[in-house]
Amino acid sequence: KSPYSMPGILHFIQHEWSRFEMERAQWDVEKAELQARIAFLQGERKGQENLKRDLIRRIKMLEFALKQERAKVHKLKFGTDLSVEQKHNESNGKCDFPSTVSKTNELQTTNAHMSWRHGRQLLRQYLQEVGYSETILDVRSQRVRALLGNNYDAPKPVENDNQVVNGNISDEEKQSNRCVWNQLQLASCSLNLTPTLTSIFLPRSAGFVLATHSTDGNTESIFKDFNFLNAEDNDNEDDEDVNMQDEDVTDDGDHQRKARAKTMNGSLTCFTGPIKKDLQSMLDTLRGSEMSRATEEPYNLLNVFHSESLPFTVGGTHMGDESIENALGLGALAGLTVANEADPLSYDIAATKESYRKTWNPKYTLRSHFDGIRAIRFLPNESAVITASEDHTMKLWNLNKPLPSKKTQSLDVEPIYSFRGHSGAVLSLEVDADGSYCFSGGLDASVRVWSIPSVEIDAYDTYDPAVIQKVLVGHTDAVWSLSYSSTRQQLLSASSDCSVRLWNPTSNDPLIQTYTTEGIPTSVCFVQCDSNHAVVSHTDGKINLYDLETGQISLVLAEGDGSKYIDCSVNCVASHPTMPITMTAHDDKHIKFFDNSSGKLIHSMVAHLDSVTSLSVDPNGLYLLSGSHDCSIRLWNLDSKTCIQELTSHRKKFDESIYSVAFHPSATYIASAGADALAKIFV
Amino acid sequence: SSVMDPEPIVRRNPPGTKAEDFYKWPAQSFDEMDTTLAVQQHIQQTIRQDFTDTETILTVPPGQDEGVWKYEQLRQFCLELNGLAIKLQTECTPLTCSQMTATEQWIFLCAAHKTPQGCPAIDYTRHTLDGAACLLNSNKYFPSRVSIKDSSVAKLGSVCRRVYRIFSHAYYHHRHIFDESENETYLCRRFTTFVIRYNLMSRDNLIVPIMDDASNTSNNNSVDQ
Repeated sequence: KSPYSMPGILHFIQHEWSRFEMERAQWDVEKAELQARIAFLQGERKGQENLKRDLIRRIKMLEFALKQERAKVHKLKFGTDLSVEQKHNESNGKCDFPSTVSKTNELQTTNAHMSWRHGRQLLRQYLQEVGYSETILDVRSQRVRALLGNNYDAPKPVENDNQVVNGNISDEEKQSNRCVWNQLQLASCSLNLTPTLTSIFLPRSAGFVLATHSTDGNTESIFKDFNFLNAEDNDNEDDEDVNMQDEDVTDDGDHQRKARAKTMNGSLTCFTGPIKKDLQSMLDTLRGSEMSRATEEPYNLLNVFHSESLPFTVGGTHMGDESIENALGLGALAGLTVANEADPLSYDIAATKESYRKTWNPKYTLRSHFDGIRAIRFLPNESAVITASEDHTMKLWNLNKPLPSKKTQSLDVEPIYSFRGHSGAVLSLEVDADGSYCFSGGLDASVRVWSIPSVEIDAYDTYDPAVIQKVLVGHTDAVWSLSYSSTRQQLLSASSDCSVRLWNPTSNDPLIQTYTTEGIPTSVCFVQCDSNHAVVSHTDGKINLYDLETGQISLVLAEGDGSKYIDCSVNCVASHPTMPITMTAHDDKHIKFFDNSSGKLIHSMVAHLDSVTSLSVDPNGLYLLSGSHDCSIRLWNLDSKTCIQELTSHRKKFDESIYSVAFHPSATYIASAGADALAKIFV
Repeated sequence: SSVMDPEPIVRRNPPGTKAEDFYKWPAQSFDEMDTTLAVQQHIQQTIRQDFTDTETILTVPPGQDEGVWKYEQLRQFCLELNGLAIKLQTECTPLTCSQMTATEQWIFLCAAHKTPQGCPAIDYTRHTLDGAACLLNSNKYFPSRVSIKDSSVAKLGSVCRRVYRIFSHAYYHHRHIFDESENETYLCRRFTTFVIRYNLMSRDNLIVPIMDDASNTSNNNSVDQ
């Protein structure tokens, strides 16, 4: 009997058919995806084309400036024409170029310094037009100085809030930046351009302001070059650019030159062939060497330009130096050296292994408070923060809705909600585990429970009194510290009335227990891996581990010696998420690590130049963030206990600057809050 | 906290400071203040020394730029107005005060929205204070705390005008709250003196009687914002 039957065959065919249909559907989906990808890549490519075009322009500009400078320098040094040198340096030496150059040199001898400075100003103008702001330039020029090996420690806070001080850039980065510069030089040589061509590009390029500067020496010389091209006699038939392929080469010299001028006056597209290739390779190098900074290639290029422009002051004029200093925005800071006399800060910038980890950069500035911000916390599941300030309010901010701005580097954010209720400065803040409630402690001795509005609300909505949930009454003096345990769903508060209280915020009778402390507590924290215990620090340096059930001190981590020295206070305690370790921030500039089981001091290090005010551990327990009144935030690797990044942030009010730092529990954000009423978010 | 003589004075309120010791350090003369927030420090210090001494609080230190002075004073007023707003929050609801009014002749529309809205008084109060916070902290108009553009100084007047309405609403509709707050802070009389002295508002609008000041009530029947 045959294995086939009619129903079997039918079934098989149906089955196959449905399978084909399914595959067809899958292929359609794939096709759509790939088409989307293609569109995306095309868009990207378009962006890169534009970028390339900008870079071409800049290169030409710089080449021109460079050649002018060399000509000048040579003229000044040797008092002769550049004829020999020029021909040697250029791939296609134009015969008449030297004489042109010498003419322009004579013209420009008197304008030597002026035109150099003009060049720099022009560069800045072009960059501004493209959208790079002064702050970015300053930031980049600081990085340049780091590249050049000018280490300097946290400088005095300067006007510019967005400065980022990145210790030493790792060797690998330095190398990659040098590589890029070498590539650029190679690319520019192979571009086969002459200054005459560049001079034509300059007046004709869209948006370049040069044409409107009608009276400075640069334009004069450029137009002189232009005239040369049209009028003068030369015999450079054989040094025709490879690029000029569209053109008829005739025997008539003049006709040829005029035609060439016309073509050059036309579109730039005829040059794009080999230029494109070289720039593409340049961009690839850039992209390859800067893995984690996809958006910053143009910035790096700029960075490199700045660094290499310094050697241009070969003339060694003082004016040149000054203008560099001014341009780099250093002013008096340029003379600062590392001020590390007494204390060898026990950190070193981590080695090249770390070069792939991310560097934090300032992204958002939160402006709205009228007085210092004492505490800042992220919402656990949103890109949002809450700040608590001495202006008696707390504010909710949504980082996904910054103010529209041309610069993407640093965005301002306005708050979407203001929590009003405290009748004095708000000193401490905590958020619960799912971001629905927050808790605040104030100078008015109250602890308040608030319901957090949705991050999508309109900033000017109607007032909803239900946001104010509870006022926890009990303390009789300022509440300086709060800690929330999600496992227990309970809140601990520490107050300068010498007590620590345990609350159940949702119950009708919230106060669970009161622990009287010996000495004034400054900070309290649940032990993250054991919520039956909490650590309390005091103004006299005492650090105690409490058993919350018995209410007794189960372990003394530090004795505390208020009488011995002034800055003995411990400002903040933090608990490691997975290991039984407590970290503490001290007035005497130290951060200390204690073992919760044995009570021993594991490690102690000088961490800042002034009192350490705040600590935050990242949710994976790998990094520690510390803030200090020395206006700096430092990021520490917890394994090696070394500092991997330092950020300058916040200005001083009286003698205080940074009050609070925080990691986001689940996203890559860090925050700092200061006495200057600002909060900063870094990504 | 202040310390013994040989030690340098460190002006900080660190964790653990008791409420009564907050800011209890020796006053610093304005000329010695070298931070960018010197004007704010000075104004707050003077208020702490005697909040009833309106004259001293409003006297600009010699050599200080007047635009910055006005700006920082206004920041401080908005900060302290929070106290009044908190008290109003308990009593002023959309049921009791469905619009922002003072005397019967005026209804104020809230300018914080795209088109001016007739917010209930409590919303008007909150929105005005929040809006003032945004404007006074805006990087666009006030990028610096040590120098103010002239064009930005012009904005201070409209902030004053709107913020004053909080006082006038409290005075005419929640008199006991107004009195309680005023006795604790002298805020309204200081604000009135401030806007008159620096010509930030026209006297016609100053409808809250302040002790000896002559008050003018307007006779217009119109809405304003």
